Amino acid sequence: MVQLLKIDLKKLLNYRTFWIICGLYFFTLLMATASGMEFLKWLARTVEGFGQSININRIPLYHFPDVWQNLAWSSGLLKIMIAIMVVISITNEYSYRTIRQNIIDGFSRKKFLISKILTNVVLAALSMVIVFLVALITGLIYSPVYDFAYMFKGIEFFPAYFLEVFAFLSFALMLGIFVQRSGLSIILLLNSYLIELIIKENLDNYFPGAIKFFPLESIMNLVPLPFARYAFQEIQDYVSLSAVAIALVWTFLFNYFSYLKLKRSDI
Amino acid sequence: MAPVLSIQNLTKHFGRIKAVNNLVLEVTSGQVFGMLGPNGSGKTTTLGMLMGVTNPTSGSFYWFGEEPTPQIRKKIGAVLEHPIFYPYLSGQKNLELNAMIKECPVANIPRVLDLVELTDRKNDKYKTYSLGMKQRLAIASALLNDPTVLILDEPTNGLDPMGIAEIREIIRKIAAQGKTIILASHLLDEVQKVCTHFAVLKKGNLVYTGPVGEVGSGAEIVEVNADAEALNELLLQFSGTTSINRENGSYHVSLRDGFHSKDLNKFLFERGVVATHLVTKKKSLEKQFLEILSEST
Repeated sequence: MVQLLKIDLKKLLNYRTFWIICGLYFFTLLMATASGMEFLKWLARTVEGFGQSININRIPLYHFPDVWQNLAWSSGLLKIMIAIMVVISITNEYSYRTIRQNIIDGFSRKKFLISKILTNVVLAALSMVIVFLVALITGLIYSPVYDFAYMFKGIEFFPAYFLEVFAFLSFALMLGIFVQRSGLSIILLLNSYLIELIIKENLDNYFPGAIKFFPLESIMNLVPLPFARYAFQEIQDYVSLSAVAIALVWTFLFNYFSYLKLKRSDI
Repeated sequence: MAPVLSIQNLTKHFGRIKAVNNLVLEVTSGQVFGMLGPNGSGKTTTLGMLMGVTNPTSGSFYWFGEEPTPQIRKKIGAVLEHPIFYPYLSGQKNLELNAMIKECPVANIPRVLDLVELTDRKNDKYKTYSLGMKQRLAIASALLNDPTVLILDEPTNGLDPMGIAEIREIIRKIAAQGKTIILASHLLDEVQKVCTHFAVLKKGNLVYTGPVGEVGSGAEIVEVNADAEALNELLLQFSGTTSINRENGSYHVSLRDGFHSKDLNKFLFERGVVATHLVTKKKSLEKQFLEILSEST
């Protein structure tokens, strides 16, 4: 397993585009999650009446335990960047035809896929660790009180965030394997939310119960939107087990479809 | 001799096109096996199936008498069609990656780089290499795991005459080490120079297989010239002559089976004519190849 990961990382770590995209991604992830208060100040400056009606310093954005869900949700918005890197990594193998040479050199198709999936695991885990550290540090800075019994409530949003990123990267990998062209795959990846939204909206009138089973919807449901609570609305402040189950099934299916496609096609 | 490779009824269809049709072939240890055929005859498809990148429609093949597995591919060095590497990696890094996939020691790299004379350029990015250097790196990569079998598909494609000579030299060196080589090419001259056995494919069908040496047998052609008037008539009187062609000022005499150039020489001498020029022409592989192809229609 470690050997397979090493092989894929060797391909990527010497690839300048990988460093640029990953650098941008992790930098943005770090800065965006740490700049929540600045964002609120900006909102107060630009949105008429926002600063007057709400005292932004009273919004407990970075207070324990709110910080966990707040940051896990916000970070989820940025995963598209790293997903594009995954698409580039797999479609490069097709455009350079190196996937063919890898197989000729003695890789099995399964091992090839596993090496790519392991990289996805590493990227998702790295995202999780970075956001967790930002949440921990900002929480320690901004929280007025530390109550250990209470502080880590909602920390399960981090494994959920990990699954969110990994599931989405699995989806990106599958798109790359099926489409094989980078430009087209990236456009499909960006467009997939819109396509799913249109289908969901049309289906909403007939089968509202089916909505949560949609692939991208299920990924979004892992960490629900937390900010409505600051407008005194009820939010889901826990990870729903059914959401995890649905997302896990989709993640498995994405990778399994990739495997079937790889196994059956001539490379 | 144990078969290195035995192919049984291997078939590949792309839709309605039969790229390879019921191919039966055996390659034994130590052979330098040439696969000939015009473009689109199924050579690369066959090699693709042997190397696990193309799924056969039906039929089977065995490497060293065993079912093919990725593990066996690691002991076979292969370059199909054109060299394939990561363009943004240096030659050295590309080989390191291949060593990881083949699970062989990185310590093998300097030796193969040396063999193909790329040591000086090993730290340059692959995309800066010339076509000849790319081909040589591909051969280095194929040799990395010290394979017992080497598969080369059009290794001299698109190279200049010097590049072709270099690659041929490398193939000779490797063959001299007793490795089995399977060489697909449409350069017949190439195959005749290095191969011991060959097979001819046409539109996915095997039309001929045999040793290269046998190509020279069959009817002999003798190129003759002599200071004699009416040499043409004289040659016609020889009982072994089937036909005579005049080419470039000398006579090309096709002989009947069982007659050789020395019989013709003796005949001429007995008639008081001394040949100034007498060459036995083996039938070239090219001629034989074209004959095989036209016969098979």
